[in-house]
Amino acid sequence: MILLVLLFLVAGVGGISSAGAQDSDTSGAGSDTTSVSDEPEVDTANMSPLERSRYLAEQAKRSPQDEDEEPEDLGPFFQKMSNEPKAGAMANVRQYTYYGNLVTTLKFRKNSIFKNTFKWSWEEYRKQDKTVEKRDNTFAYGLGKNLPVVLSLDGAWTWSEDNTTNTAGYANLSKRDLKRFGMKANKTNFKLGFLNNIAKMSAGVTEQQSVNQNQRNDLQEGKFDAGLQTDMSIAPGVMIAGRIYGMKVAGDRALGKSTSPSSADGDTLGFGVYYKRNVLNGRVAVTRSNFNKKYLDFKKNSNGLIDTVGVAEDEKVVTELETVDAISYEMENNFNFGKFAFNTRLTRLTDDLDYSQSGVGLRQREQDVMDLSLTYASGRDSFAVSYDYLWKWDDQRYKNATENRGRQYNKARDYEFNYFRDLFRRTNLNLRYHEGLGQDLAENRHNENDKDRHQSDFSARLDRNWYNKFRATMVFAYQQIQDFNIRESRSSNNNVKDSYEVSPGYSWTISPWLSLDQSYRVYIQYTNYSFSGMEGVNRADDYNKRGNLATKVVMDPTNRLNITLRHDYNRRFSATKTVTDASGSVFYHRDLNQTISKIEMVLRFIAVPGVTLEASTYRTRDDRDTFGFQDKTTITYSGEMWVGAQVRRTWFQANPLELSAMVRKYNAFGPSVTETSSDYWEADVWLKWEF
Amino acid sequence: MRLSITKKPVTAGGKLGLAVLLLTGLVLLSGCLFTPREPEKPGTGVQIDYLPKSAPANVWANLEKSLEASHAPGWEDNISLIEFRYIPDDEARDLFPPDTFIGWDRPREVTYINNFYNSGVSIVAQMVQTGFVFPPASGNEMTIEDIIYDLVVTNDADGSVVRYRGKCDVIFRLEANFWYIYEWRDLQGESDPGSGQLLNTMGVLRGTFGS
Repeated sequence: MILLVLLFLVAGVGGISSAGAQDSDTSGAGSDTTSVSDEPEVDTANMSPLERSRYLAEQAKRSPQDEDEEPEDLGPFFQKMSNEPKAGAMANVRQYTYYGNLVTTLKFRKNSIFKNTFKWSWEEYRKQDKTVEKRDNTFAYGLGKNLPVVLSLDGAWTWSEDNTTNTAGYANLSKRDLKRFGMKANKTNFKLGFLNNIAKMSAGVTEQQSVNQNQRNDLQEGKFDAGLQTDMSIAPGVMIAGRIYGMKVAGDRALGKSTSPSSADGDTLGFGVYYKRNVLNGRVAVTRSNFNKKYLDFKKNSNGLIDTVGVAEDEKVVTELETVDAISYEMENNFNFGKFAFNTRLTRLTDDLDYSQSGVGLRQREQDVMDLSLTYASGRDSFAVSYDYLWKWDDQRYKNATENRGRQYNKARDYEFNYFRDLFRRTNLNLRYHEGLGQDLAENRHNENDKDRHQSDFSARLDRNWYNKFRATMVFAYQQIQDFNIRESRSSNNNVKDSYEVSPGYSWTISPWLSLDQSYRVYIQYTNYSFSGMEGVNRADDYNKRGNLATKVVMDPTNRLNITLRHDYNRRFSATKTVTDASGSVFYHRDLNQTISKIEMVLRFIAVPGVTLEASTYRTRDDRDTFGFQDKTTITYSGEMWVGAQVRRTWFQANPLELSAMVRKYNAFGPSVTETSSDYWEADVWLKWEF
Repeated sequence: MRLSITKKPVTAGGKLGLAVLLLTGLVLLSGCLFTPREPEKPGTGVQIDYLPKSAPANVWANLEKSLEASHAPGWEDNISLIEFRYIPDDEARDLFPPDTFIGWDRPREVTYINNFYNSGVSIVAQMVQTGFVFPPASGNEMTIEDIIYDLVVTNDADGSVVRYRGKCDVIFRLEANFWYIYEWRDLQGESDPGSGQLLNTMGVLRGTFGS
């Protein structure tokens, strides 16, 4: 008997994706069930057993009066019908879009609802020779409380036609016609002895006809899936849970000139222990998934990319069999003791992905993660320390190869330390230190890309707030990045970058209608190339400096008028190292002086309630002095201006008619502004009626 | 047994001591855990001459140099450190599961380029079509439109050759002292100049190697 119970519990579910297997349709029994019922449905399937037990306990505490607050709707069978037609147009620098929607909702007895949404749109592209038309009709019917299970039906008919002619004059029609019908059912929180259960199932059919680049891609498939999750309490604060899920797909597919039956099947088993006792809470869980899929596919190379150039027409399409085996282990523990908290998370994911025809062949992956964090808060001080570790690899045995290619490893470790202190009233200090190392390693040197990146950061930030009228901030930051390629064929650019930044700033509310923000930022970065002195390496150390003063003034002279002024002033310099003298002094040659000044103004005026007039403009001047074989000075200007209005009006109370309009006319100039982006409209206008 | 907390005043000196202890531990740890490996000295004749990122044209040219040398740091160094996004063309988007390109940011881009280069490929790249002229660097942000790039990717394992050619709009931004790519929007695939066959954009490479 105990064995039987254990077997039942070991059976576990979850979405197939939880362990890495693939399923393009995630709306089945292994995932959420959606409902169109008016009553908000609490989906306990996605809760952890502990969360669910707490939720159920809360439900159990509800008094009969509480139940009476949500009376079951027992009126006439048909209760209400509403329609919401909406039509609109949108425009921007890229395209014009015209659209129309109609949403129809029918309400029936016992919270049963039918909702149908029809959408049509037409897109015309300004810069491309391209038009797209889409028609989409979806419906959903929820049976509410008419049945002992939550049951819903849904369907969709999606049609689209995309005509694009590229620069060379090649015209392509991409067309799709997809019909889908499905049914979902679930029963939550039903008891079988001492076991609490959730069961879900879904079934559906899909039919698609599509053409792209004169290749058809049709399918006709049916799908069924079902899952069961069950859990039990074995001690106060300790629960065990098991899940099982299975799915099956069958049908026919046509790709190019080939047709073939298609099929897929998959299953997932999961088991977990969940606990919350005294200072500890956490979980241990194992999930295993298998997935097989047989379908028509284009011939692919060992990287999984379509490779049909020079291949005979009848060999371009193959019948692929894809198999996935995946397993995941997860352990999470949170230890909370007074002001200390120590959190641990360990996971391992492995999966094997095998193709019978694709050049990819067999691909194997494994990923280990460890996250540790420690926090402490006492009085005016608090600390947070974390260490994260990632170790993953993937390997591949190409189709028809006798040996694996070799593992590609990625390792990453990060340490972070944060310290917060209230120095004195309304003054806070934050110190942060971070160090991280990322490494790429190719086993058997199957590529030349082995590399390490080491990064360390330190920052100090001081904030002061004077009664919300005046706030000041001072930031100091230092960062060092070491980029090292390990192999000789890649290492000539190895470098170390040291960056320093100082940024003071303040925000001052001068009066209720006037505020001022100003910040100053000085930034300098030195780049030292590891092998810059070597013969044949054409890299020279350099530095770059930048000073930036940003000012913003916001004014509200009246309740109707809002004015924002901004000014950005930038100066930057670049220089390259030339020589180091006998005393060790380093000399740099200035390559560039640049000054960028940008001024911007935004204006908003409420003309009448619901109508706002807007305007905005900016202008930038860019002065560049470059020093080289020939010194050069250039001055360029760029700018933009737009004027527009926003209107929002609603008429009639019972059957509201709503208008929303935003229209702006843009004009721009500058070195990179093209004909299409120098003069255009931006708009979003729609009219909606509900009856 | 229920654990209880003894409230004991912690002195400022004690807190400072704890902080110093943690920092000291870090310094000791960093010596052994965070030391990068010793690189090999550069071989003769193998060098990637990246251009200074003082203009969008240089940044874009650096991508070509990175591709031809399969040198991931060269790609990463030209992608915005603050915010980056990639928007695929419709064709590439429709070839992958719906959420493949949603929220494509710098970490995704770094994953993609490393996986791509580590997959054993040789690349011949031309990131702009002949005659394309970048406007001079100006201001803090520039949008360069209608760039046509061309890549020929040879798979060393099986000798297969796949060509990618696409048209894109790219937004460059000046961050701190350098220009970086802030947004890359592929517009459409372009035709093979030789055969006239419609080719895919780099969105297909991103979708394949991005996870």
